Amino acid sequence: MARRRGWGGGRVPGRPAGAGTVPAGLCQAEGACQRRPAAAVIRGFENGGCAAAGQSESGRRLLGDAQSRPPRRPAAGSPEEPREGAQVACREHGELAFNSDSTSKECLSIHVGQAGVQIGDACWELYCLEHEIQPDGTIPDRKQRDPLEDADTEEQANASFDTFFCETRAGKHVPRALFVDLEPTVVDGIRAGRYRALFHPEQLLSGKEDAANNYARGRYSVGSGVIDLVLERTRKLAKQCSGLQGFLIFRSFGGGTGSGLTSLLVERLSVEFGRKTKLEFSVHPAPRVSTAVVEPYNAVLTTHSTLEHADCTFLVDNEAVYDVCHRKLGVERPSYASINRLLAQAASAVTASLRFQGPLNVDLVEFQTNLVPFPRVHFPVTALAPVVSADRAFHEPLSVADITAACFEPSGHLVRCDPRRGRYMACCLLYRGDVAPREVNAAIAAVKARDSVRFVDWCPTGFKVGINSQPPRATPGGDLAPVRRAVCTLSNSTAVVEAWARLDHRFDLMYAKRAFLHWYLREGMEEGEFSEAREDLAALEQDYREVGQSLSCKDGWREGRR
Amino acid sequence: MSEGRSHILDSGYIITNDTLASDVIGRRVEVNGEYATVRFSGIVPPVAGCWLGVEWDNPERGKHDGSHEGTVYFKCRHPTGGSFVRPNKVNFGIDFLTAVKNRYVLEDGPEEDGKEQIVIIGSKPVETIGFDSVIKQQSQLSKLQDISLRNCAVSCAGEKGGIAKACPNIRKVDLSKNLLSSWDEVIHIADQLRHLEVLNLSENKLQCPSGSASLTGTFSALKVLVLNRTGITWAEVLQCASACPVLEELYLGSNNIIISQRPTDVLQTVKLLDLSSNHLIDESQLFLIAYLPRLEQLILSDIGISSIHFPDAGIGCKTSMFPNLQYLVVNDNQISQWSFINELDKLQSLHALSCIRNPLTEGDKAAQTTRQLIIAKIGQLRTLNKCEILPEERRGAELDYRKAFGNEWKKAGGHQDPDRNRPDEEFLAAHPRYQLLCLTLKIKCPNQLDQKVLEKQLPDSMTIQKVKGLLSRLLKVPVSDLLLAYESPKVSCPAKYKVKLTSPHYDIKFLCKTSLILNGRPYILSSRVTCCLGEST
Repeated sequence: MARRRGWGGGRVPGRPAGAGTVPAGLCQAEGACQRRPAAAVIRGFENGGCAAAGQSESGRRLLGDAQSRPPRRPAAGSPEEPREGAQVACREHGELAFNSDSTSKECLSIHVGQAGVQIGDACWELYCLEHEIQPDGTIPDRKQRDPLEDADTEEQANASFDTFFCETRAGKHVPRALFVDLEPTVVDGIRAGRYRALFHPEQLLSGKEDAANNYARGRYSVGSGVIDLVLERTRKLAKQCSGLQGFLIFRSFGGGTGSGLTSLLVERLSVEFGRKTKLEFSVHPAPRVSTAVVEPYNAVLTTHSTLEHADCTFLVDNEAVYDVCHRKLGVERPSYASINRLLAQAASAVTASLRFQGPLNVDLVEFQTNLVPFPRVHFPVTALAPVVSADRAFHEPLSVADITAACFEPSGHLVRCDPRRGRYMACCLLYRGDVAPREVNAAIAAVKARDSVRFVDWCPTGFKVGINSQPPRATPGGDLAPVRRAVCTLSNSTAVVEAWARLDHRFDLMYAKRAFLHWYLREGMEEGEFSEAREDLAALEQDYREVGQSLSCKDGWREGRR
Repeated sequence: MSEGRSHILDSGYIITNDTLASDVIGRRVEVNGEYATVRFSGIVPPVAGCWLGVEWDNPERGKHDGSHEGTVYFKCRHPTGGSFVRPNKVNFGIDFLTAVKNRYVLEDGPEEDGKEQIVIIGSKPVETIGFDSVIKQQSQLSKLQDISLRNCAVSCAGEKGGIAKACPNIRKVDLSKNLLSSWDEVIHIADQLRHLEVLNLSENKLQCPSGSASLTGTFSALKVLVLNRTGITWAEVLQCASACPVLEELYLGSNNIIISQRPTDVLQTVKLLDLSSNHLIDESQLFLIAYLPRLEQLILSDIGISSIHFPDAGIGCKTSMFPNLQYLVVNDNQISQWSFINELDKLQSLHALSCIRNPLTEGDKAAQTTRQLIIAKIGQLRTLNKCEILPEERRGAELDYRKAFGNEWKKAGGHQDPDRNRPDEEFLAAHPRYQLLCLTLKIKCPNQLDQKVLEKQLPDSMTIQKVKGLLSRLLKVPVSDLLLAYESPKVSCPAKYKVKLTSPHYDIKFLCKTSLILNGRPYILSSRVTCCLGEST
């Protein structure tokens, strides 16, 4: 089991003893000294060509960190203290970093496969809107456009999107993103699309031969040919970062490229960028609609191989999102474009805290700590509210209480599962826009009063809430109405086991007859890999069942499986 | 209810009887979450003390119609719409600035010491992040641009100039579901907010402004005005709109509006008009707003409309009404006839339509068929029910439409030969676009003199390749030997102009719409196309 020191990895309070990580006491002592060399190695590697001044500056800061501040995070006890201190210190120095590690800032988005690339297209369109970046990467002069804007808010807004955009000397803002697909048509769509001038050609990678919905092709025969190029481009992007925070990977479980190439990629990323976090947005195979017959094979195989590498995977499924589009937005037959726009809203809500940082906003990192109680149990369910169609913009009451309640309805979830049947391990609410704190408290009290929201008994905290003052934006011409406030809930609920059980069942049906297996064997895979993956998934289901049980029967908890 | 409510109740009471001013009649009040209008104030014998007679918004809340023991104190629209309540039970609301402070500024400060507040709900604590900074940021009222005061019992503007002083930068205000009782108060508020762009006044029952002169200049920057559920009348709408020189979006849902007069000199800048759930609107009223020059989106959901007929345009012509209307929403109506859809084809710029939950679309027919028919019947439609219509879908829909009504067309007198093609009026009225969907192609073969001139009606989406295939079957000439050229009857040059048809994937419609530059003058090829057929050498 890989033990990295990423966002959610080694610093989870309440981890069962003997879990295989550094014990709590050691962690504090080792924190500082272990971290430095690791960072230095990566720094040397990343900043090979950078100006010496920058390097020494960051080096000094790093040293300063280790000397003056408490180590990154004590494993147990109050997790708030060091952050608080660091935040105050940062504010004093006028810096915008607010993770206690002031070097970690930037996030790289990697979009793999058709689904990943298309969602990425929608995401970056939305990010640009939110940061008021034009399709060619420039920002119109805020002063000129908006005489009322205060100088300090402007500065803050400008500085904040550094995590996702890289500013060139010419004043262009280039997304820190990489689009990878094994066949050209989808990436060509971006190359010819409205935002074509936003990206550097090197960020758009496409092969000639597609993975044909086959994990084996995506990972072995075709994928292995392009992985070095993908990694090279990733390194190049990483080199532009002063302190890479982690990777956001967008992909689908069902497709060949999304499943196969991603699993290869995250393994290689783990080797090269050891302690960087990897967050995933994954499109889970939908229960009833499917695009490929071998989806269950691909999904099971890729889950098995990325389970140990990804730190947190936000699941969505096409059918649930399709339903939301159909019912709430009144789209007769939602196209991928409408679905992707909704997914982009979810991704934007989750990443808003990373993009609009600065002292006023909340950090995803903190939420992630709460969300992932055990490294394998890292599949939070996303829900989004409000979802209102543009022609009903002013008809529905969208108070804080309304949108909070809507988020806990099963119909608002972007994965088909019923959270009422499971227990929550953690629940994070990310508010955006015009939200007054006291309304949030009242809204949560109302939600908690329902029977349907039950927490596991071993988890000390319940909800974790953040407010981001930037209101959400709607894509012009899209189906969503512009709203003043929105909420996105990320809940790690045992109910998600439903989705896994369904997937495993579909896998079993085919695998019992060894149907379609030859496509995989032909590309050089072995049957053993299938049964191993299936066992791992069974273990995952078991994990979820066990965490859902009450404390008294938790003795059978197995750690360090596989 | 939220915590915010109790604050308002605490500070918003007008408790003693003495403070009741004489102008209390007509004021909007709130009693235990129910909204009402004060109609009477005084003594109701035999019970001692001062009473307020109120008319509830929710008529089931009351007990009588304003009369008590035979004496009529006030009148209600509904027989059980009235009540008498004690003044101390009534919330008369607070002023705008107090409401803003209630929502955005904390007056009691356990949180102000910088620590994050931990709320315990049930047995688990709720961790909050960044709340203190959000509070700090929000409490700087002068920087607020977008405020929402829904359900905050705002009843008046408060001290003159106070708003302009405290929060001058407000651009968007949501004042829905408050206790504003007249436009005068709204004007007092809006006068102080010179950057105001979005104003939401839904669910307030507003009385007319006292003098129209006071309106001018108030909403000089207002772009979006929302007046859902306000009970406003069309005359009042026009009066208010006259003060909004740059208004772009106007929402008037659920108001029982009757459009009574043509807007002249007002609403000329409006791009979006929402009239949904106004059940009294009918076809003829819509014609009164038909000439708004900028109107692009019209939302007519749930108004009970069943038919429309543009009187100024005949079959197959475009109407001059709604010249810029691009997007029309007619969800939840009583549309059951295809003639409605046929009429929509007459709108010049319509390219998006949303038409769901109507008898026409909900019938036993498959939804897919209905969609296809709508696509085929409205030529320039690009989006239907929020789904883009791709060229393949349109082609399929039009071909199916041709096929499905082919027999009917023949029965009605249609014929492939254009000279004998005389479908009756009835068919034309039912299918105005049917004949436009195909082109008449005259096929001449200069090299085969004995061959008569053939005429064929072909769907305009047919590609050149398909035409070739058809001709090779008709004339029994191998495809490779066919050489198609295209002759337009409109081009009257000395030498007959011919375009060689080489690219097989163009459709013939494309050819007809292509304008050619010939001798420096543009020619648009007519829809009657002649194809010259020669044999390749």
